[in-house]
Amino acid sequence: MSEPDRTRLPIRRPPFGGVSNRTLDGSKPDWNLIGHPEPPVGSPNVLLVLIDDAGFGNPSTFGGPISTPRYTRMAEAGLRYNRFHVTALCSPTRAALLTGRNNHAVGFGSIGELSSGFPGYTATVPRDCTPVPRVLAENGYSTAAFGKWHLTPDGQQGPAGPFDRWPNGWGFDYFYGFLGGDSGQWDPCLAENQKIIGTPEDFYDQENPYYLPDAMADKTIEWLHGVRAQDARKPFFVYFSTGCSHAPHHVAPEWADKYQGKFDQGWDRLREEVFARQKELGVVPADAELTARDAAFPAWDEVPDKLKAYYARQMEVYAGFSENADYNVGRVIDAIDELGELDNTLIIWIWGDNGASLEGAITGSFNELTMQNGIPLTDEMQLQLAERYGGIGAWGGQMMDPHYSAAWAWAGNTPFQWGKQVGSHLGGTRNPMVIHWPARITGTGALRPHFTHVIDIGPTILDIAGIPAPSHVDGIEQEPFHGVSFADSFTDPAAPEHHTQQYFETMGNRAMYKDGWWLAMKTPRIPWVLTPDALRPYAPGVWDPDTDPAELYYLPDDFTQARDLAASHPEKVAELRELFWAEAEKYKVLPLLATLSAFFGILPPMPDAVPVEYRGDVQNIMSGMIPRIYNHSYAISADLTVPAEGAEGVIVAEADHLGGFSLFVQDGKLTHTYSMMGVFIYRQQAEERLPSGEVTVRMEFAADAAKPATGGEVTLLVDGKTVGSGRMDHTVPIRFSAYAGMDIGRDNGGVVDLSYEDKKPFAFTGTVKKVTFDVKPHLSAQDEEGLHAVAQHGHAGHGLSA
Amino acid sequence: MAFDNETIDVLIGGYLSTDAAHEDYEAALASGGYLHGAVVVSKDLKGNLAVEQTDHMVREGAAGLGALGFAVGLFAPPLLAATAVGAVIGAGAGKLLHRRTASKLEEQAGATIPLGGAGLILAYPHSAAGKVEPAVTRAVQKAVGEAEGHHVQALKGAIADAQQKMAESST
Repeated sequence: MSEPDRTRLPIRRPPFGGVSNRTLDGSKPDWNLIGHPEPPVGSPNVLLVLIDDAGFGNPSTFGGPISTPRYTRMAEAGLRYNRFHVTALCSPTRAALLTGRNNHAVGFGSIGELSSGFPGYTATVPRDCTPVPRVLAENGYSTAAFGKWHLTPDGQQGPAGPFDRWPNGWGFDYFYGFLGGDSGQWDPCLAENQKIIGTPEDFYDQENPYYLPDAMADKTIEWLHGVRAQDARKPFFVYFSTGCSHAPHHVAPEWADKYQGKFDQGWDRLREEVFARQKELGVVPADAELTARDAAFPAWDEVPDKLKAYYARQMEVYAGFSENADYNVGRVIDAIDELGELDNTLIIWIWGDNGASLEGAITGSFNELTMQNGIPLTDEMQLQLAERYGGIGAWGGQMMDPHYSAAWAWAGNTPFQWGKQVGSHLGGTRNPMVIHWPARITGTGALRPHFTHVIDIGPTILDIAGIPAPSHVDGIEQEPFHGVSFADSFTDPAAPEHHTQQYFETMGNRAMYKDGWWLAMKTPRIPWVLTPDALRPYAPGVWDPDTDPAELYYLPDDFTQARDLAASHPEKVAELRELFWAEAEKYKVLPLLATLSAFFGILPPMPDAVPVEYRGDVQNIMSGMIPRIYNHSYAISADLTVPAEGAEGVIVAEADHLGGFSLFVQDGKLTHTYSMMGVFIYRQQAEERLPSGEVTVRMEFAADAAKPATGGEVTLLVDGKTVGSGRMDHTVPIRFSAYAGMDIGRDNGGVVDLSYEDKKPFAFTGTVKKVTFDVKPHLSAQDEEGLHAVAQHGHAGHGLSA
Repeated sequence: MAFDNETIDVLIGGYLSTDAAHEDYEAALASGGYLHGAVVVSKDLKGNLAVEQTDHMVREGAAGLGALGFAVGLFAPPLLAATAVGAVIGAGAGKLLHRRTASKLEEQAGATIPLGGAGLILAYPHSAAGKVEPAVTRAVQKAVGEAEGHHVQALKGAIADAQQKMAESST
């Protein structure tokens, strides 16, 4: 059989090479007709591992404090790349990784949930940029993705799709994981292929609770075994994308406790220790300088003694969480080894997609969503809230959704400045990469200092698989890859650098790299601050990007970006600044700050404000798709059938005790609980029992005003009669949860009201026939427009922190 | 100073956790400063109320803190004075301070302590302030009232003064 034309996908079925007569007499079959595309002979398996929200100075493999023995094992039998680059934000890195093209050019200037009307920010991959997994699948690979996805717009994560924005639509035969930007590891709301399957049943097992990192490895191994049970030769492509080390930092105490006392020296000293080890390992040149601490981060010595244990525990949990990721990736590698296929499996393991995350602000938080909701809690308040939910010993457990201090993240990005969201500097754009492929890599344990970028991964995989970049897919002419293969560096340490020029842009923080020179143009805004004062300088007509401070580094002599040469090389500054603008136009980066457009009055059309009705027991409505109940009056009503003996259980519930609401029946009485991010918890209960028969219940929230976080009065009604009331002084302005869903007739996953935790999911024992949300009971047109703007601010705010 | 002509301080503290309130309560008791009385009230996440008090004043023939009222505006930290994400989220929570009732301590505390929150009241002679006040280190909101006069009158006045200051700090 001749080699098929792989430049046009799908590969055309070969012409019939046999004979078809009127009868079987003399007819000759062509068995190629019932075959399927096969990859070129010798194409290896590929395991692509991406760790989340981690920094260059985190894993011990690169000198960090977190024990990563499996990562080191791969590095010692393979190669370390110490000049590998990402985009400084989750979805953009993933989009670039899986398409081989610059993130803005494929619609991912920002995160997946946040789609807008500018070409670089649609969160929708254009059909002329077919993702690499689709190319591999069309060429005969078995493909699967596990874990974090984060490439599906917020409002499209339900049964109506469209599914071309889900993992299967990107070319994965199988997907098990979560669609959003982060997830609880104990209580995720999962998707499998094209269905939201919710929180796994094992979550309710007290003795052996569900844990997503373990389940991801289990599912991957199960899938590999299934593929091999069917086909002994077909190569696989596995994308193993951990939720770790993104917040919430969830891990069992035995992992975190390994690090007890290991961070008591604080972040300043930790950086020095890591830097020394990095030099010993050679992943940082001997003449490199450790960059200085920016004033945005406090010195460890400034932390009050009484709070040092609180801060130290944050990092202990993060470290244990990260080590667990190393362990579970190791399980997958061991399974491949056990299949006898490790030698011919190309493992590309990238430790971090945007540097470590600064989004915990300086205090860190018991609940990552307090930041996104703009609740300014001091570190003492955060500590007390942690105590409320079990104390710092329970940081990492099921009762909290913790995020550590930005100062720990900065230390995790040692030796660089800044971190996630800061596309202008290496703290947010340079991450460790290890490549392992015994069949081809012989000079093991070596370092590769080649400048490489996440857009190079796809072209490299296709290069070593012998698969060309397609010119057409589904009849649509394809945009060429922007990345370039670095496969020659696997075997040749002297291979030339192919990637000599690259722009970077995230949230207006931008850089231009060319031939060793790096122009860094960071906006003065501190990444985790989105106050009006912080945003005002970037308003249309106010902001002139070319007046932002510019720093110039020559990386061959200055690995860490410690020596700013801008003052002595103004011509290079000007050259690279102009080159950035040209690249920005070419790759759809413009307009800068499109992600923040909502803050400056550029809003999408207002959605329909009709009542939202749910019939039957609809489950696991993703948190970005619940009715718009924030910041104004609303009402929830439900038609119930209550048996003669009475009923109890949840009528409707969103998210959990760290942010959410539940309308339920307890002790025969209608009850409403509202958790304002676990900080304020309000409960109202009817004064009389629910009658039996056909019953209509209603919860009305009358806001003080249509404004962010408005307080208001709650009234509970049964068949139109007021049966209870209460006040809520503060409500959630932006979003209850990053990952927990809404359910009718039960409270899946973590519960909203802990008084019924022992009965979870506390399914309603009568019948919930219909639940209706009236999200516009009292709004004026002016209010509606104002709230629409606020909702978009919140959406953008969430986007900036996801 | 004569017993019926004294200056009394009342410290009110608001907390987000029971642990923190108890820590300050114990620290105040151990401070070496004389206390007329101390009360810590907390409510867990399921709504269960707990009260602990060391009310020396009862022993001295005066009304206890609980009988004088616990209408404290507990837990109204200046939480929303600043905000992120581009809009001003504002609202005070001081109105709880004005919901004074004459009912018993637990009823009052039940109405004023939020789920998961806790409150502390300390009453002490003004002369003990130098020892007692520094012991209270974890309150997320704190106010100290002061009044002079007959013992119970001074106590009532000091509570009212502390409540007023607490309200002002919440808005």
